[in-house]
Parts: sequence; structure tokens; C-alpha cells
Amino acid sequence: MANIFFELKQASYSYLGKFPALRAVDLTIEQGSKVAVIGANGTGKSTLLSMLDALIFPDQGSVKAFGRTLDEKASNDADFSRIFRSRVGLVFQNPDTQLFCSTVKEDIIFGPLQLRVRNSEVAKRLEKVATELKLADLLERSPHQLSIGEKKKVAIASVLAIQPEVLLLDEPTAGLDPQTTRDIIDILIAENRSGTTLVTATHDLHIVEEISDTVHVFGLEKRIIHSAPPEKVLSDQQFLQAHNLVHIHRHRHKDVDASHAHQHDVRHHH
Amino acid sequence: MKDNRFIERSLMGAVSFLKESVFADEHAGQKGFLQARDPRVKVAAILLLVLSVLFSRQIAFIGGIYLVSLVLAGCSSINLAFFLGRTWLFVPLFAIFIVVPSAFSVFTPGEQLAVIKIGVFSFQVTKQGIAGASIFFSRVLVSVSLCVLLSLTTRHYALLKVLRIFRVPQVFVMTLGMCYRYIFLFIGIIQDTYTAIKSRCGYGLSSMKGQKIVAWSIAALWQRSYRMQNQVYDAMLSRGYSGEVYILDDLRAGIKDILFLAGATVIFLLIIWRTYFSN
Repeated sequence: MANIFFELKQASYSYLGKFPALRAVDLTIEQGSKVAVIGANGTGKSTLLSMLDALIFPDQGSVKAFGRTLDEKASNDADFSRIFRSRVGLVFQNPDTQLFCSTVKEDIIFGPLQLRVRNSEVAKRLEKVATELKLADLLERSPHQLSIGEKKKVAIASVLAIQPEVLLLDEPTAGLDPQTTRDIIDILIAENRSGTTLVTATHDLHIVEEISDTVHVFGLEKRIIHSAPPEKVLSDQQFLQAHNLVHIHRHRHKDVDASHAHQHDVRHHH
Repeated sequence: MKDNRFIERSLMGAVSFLKESVFADEHAGQKGFLQARDPRVKVAAILLLVLSVLFSRQIAFIGGIYLVSLVLAGCSSINLAFFLGRTWLFVPLFAIFIVVPSAFSVFTPGEQLAVIKIGVFSFQVTKQGIAGASIFFSRVLVSVSLCVLLSLTTRHYALLKVLRIFRVPQVFVMTLGMCYRYIFLFIGIIQDTYTAIKSRCGYGLSSMKGQKIVAWSIAALWQRSYRMQNQVYDAMLSRGYSGEVYILDDLRAGIKDILFLAGATVIFLLIIWRTYFSN
């Protein structure tokens, strides 16, 4: 039987107690799995990741991580909190949020240092992620001097340096050029092959097949409306269109005026 | 309609500060004598040289230290014209308002050297006044040069780390670093906001309208910074922050650092001895 890392039962959350962000979500995430969470804007994807990272706790229902319920009590337990933070890493949607230190190097080593990893081990991890993500030349730079693609890579590096067992990613490829997107997907696939569990919230449907073996689709009612393997979800164009994940695009195919649904991220020729 | 370019001027000033800062970091990233020094030692040595300048009463000694600063700049891959420009452009402005009046008998009585007549008023320039003004001017020039040298050859975060030798708490040092980091982010946001306003409204805004836009921008920026503050805190928590910050202490002083500090100490002691104990 697979080892269950996260288990959500009827988990609901609302901001300020009156703006629902997540409604009665049931979800199980197993060790080593690749999970994608897709949905239109404002469907609760980021809220789900914050909940999985114990940054917020459900108003109703429950969330369990590694067999323990995530709540304020668990959060205030210093031992559990340290172990949890060393096992789960969240890459935020906005890298400027995540890169708060003066230099790339300080940002990468921030996590391990707070988790009281020995200095010699911190240095080894820094060298490893800097080499793997090709960041060695950027280590002494300030985050404000980086391009958006570089910032995203550094944000991922800052979480990988923790060596988490679960990697939560909020829109890891949003707004990136094709080569940087490819680099990031390769990094994520390599991490998953080495045993890291991936949970990715994304709009980029063209990366979903590579970074997931299960897709959960969130609807505007802020709950999971469909769960299936990526090939099944992506082949159901009517479903994707109905839930604002692809759009109708009108253009000419040679002399024929045609209209069909597609994702905007996919490069195609007419 | 009043000229409403004050918004643009302020913004462009902030942006040029950003660019200069990036440029300064480029100097700090180059290979050179001062760049290779441990920042703690560098700050201590520069401080000793500045103190030497302040304690010295002889122009020759101050000139000697200025020469040392020029040699240090040369050994640190800093273009001499750029370095002189940075210091000499600022210092004369300071001198006009502070130093020049002290050359006159009104402030420094003494042996008359020259008389300047403006209308019915006549002002006496005194020998003591000129000597005092020269010493003061040269002290300012050399002190500013040394400080510019320090800031050009040291990355800002390394300077912040030096604060820790004065037992400033780590969390304070880190907060300062974060402030510096996010100032640049918000300058970028302000610039983008202004560009967006300009693209829709052009330059033809009344002064009143301009003030309203600035007020609105300040409010919007405040809201953004408040929201970002929560997100940054979450990002810190997510990576294991639990109320106490741990920073890697990776500063190491070597033989060359010790020799550099020893040299500065010798200069300082020599000047103290010559000024207060010889004769």
C-alpha cells in the first residue's frame, strides 16, 4: 500500500471568514506521486497549496500531513514544525515574494540555515543546487538584478536546498519563455525521479502531462470537479472549454475560416 | 497650466539611484585589492584612516592619506576619473556653503590676507581663516573619498554584515537587507505605474490632477506593500523561519587583511604621535 503524505477531508477555507476560497475538498496525495491542480483564476489552487504547506488551516474539515492533523496546535509545536518544514517546500507564484534576502546565495541557504542544518552541509547543498540549476554565476547577485526566469529558478533552488520530500509549486512556469519553461520542467521531472512528490498548480496545460500522473480540476465553485489521469483530462476538450481552461480561437486555415478550442500556450502553425 | 514634471523628475531620480546602485555593485564585483579584503577589516581600516584625517592638523599628512586612497582606488580596478568625479563633484558644493565663510574674519579673526568689497560692505580674509578652511576642506575631501572607496568596493549586504561586529542583532541586519531588497522592487512598481499613467494621460495633467494621482499611487503602493509583507512572512515561515534568524557567518580574514589593517593602524598611530606627542 502506498504511503499517504497528505489527506484532506471536506477541507474548506474562507478569507476573513466570509470569502470562500476552498469548499469541501477531498484529496489524497501519495509519496512519490505527481499531482497537478488546474483550474481557472480564483478557483482555489493557491489556497490549496497554502493549506498543504500549513500556512493556513481549514475552517471546516481536516488536513493531515504525514499522519498528523495540520492545525494551529501542530504549527506551534516547534519539533513538528521543523520536521514538517524540512519535508515540505513551497515555491510561491511570485518569486519576488520568495526571494527576500540580499543575494541569491543567501536566499538559497536561508531555508537550511533556519532548519539548523550544519554549515558544512549547507555549503554542500548550495554547491549542488547551484550546479544543477546553473546558478553558480548568479550567487553574489541581488535578486532585483535577475530576469523573471532566473528569479523562478532561484526560487526553486531556495526550496530544493531544503531537500524536501514534497515540492509544492504554484504556477512554476507562468510567464516564462519556452527554454526556461523546459529547464524548469526538466528540474521537476528529475526531482520526481529521485523520489520527490510533486504537487503543481498551473494554468499551463501543455506541461501537465509531463509533471503529473493525476490531475485535479478545480471549478469556479472552489471545489474539485474532476480527477483523472492527464491524458484523459486533456483530451476532453468540451470539459476544458466549459471550465475556462481552453478558449475558442477563430482563424484561417489556408482559405477556410475555422474556429476551434485550444490553449494559448501551445505553439501552432496555421 | 503649471508644469507638472515634478512626478517624472522624482521618479527618474529614484530610477537613476537604482541604476547607480547596480553600477556600484559592478565595481564591488570586480577583482581588486579592496574587493578581496574581508569587509570587517576593510571597514575598520577605512575608519582608522578617516580618524587619522580628522585628528591630523597638517595638510601634508592629510594629502598623504589622500594619495593612499588614490593608490587603493587604482589597485581596486576603479577608474580614477570616475572616482575623482564622484568625490570632487560633491565636495565643492559642500565647501561653498560651509568652508568659504570660515575664511573670513567674521568667523575666524586673525592676520588680514585680503579684503573683498561688496558695495558698502568689506570682508577681510584672514590667514588663519584660510588655513582653517583648507584643513577643513581637505579633511572633508579625504574622508568622503575614503567612504566612497569603501562603498564602491564592498557589496551592500557585506556592509550590513559588518554591523554584526557591533553586536547588532541578526534579525535587525536581515530586516535592513530586506528593506534594501524591496526598495528596488517598489521603485520598479512606481516606474511601471507612472509609465501606465503617462501612456493614458500623457504629460498634460494639471497640478491638482497630478497631486491626486501621486496620492492615489502612494495609497496603492501602501496596499501592495502591506499584502507583500504578509506573503514574504509566509515565504519565510515556509522555509523554516520560527522567530529567530540564522545567517551563515562566512567572513574570513587572511594575512593580507591583517597586513592592511596593520598599515592603517600604523598611519593612525603615527599621526596621533606627531599631532599630540612630538615636539
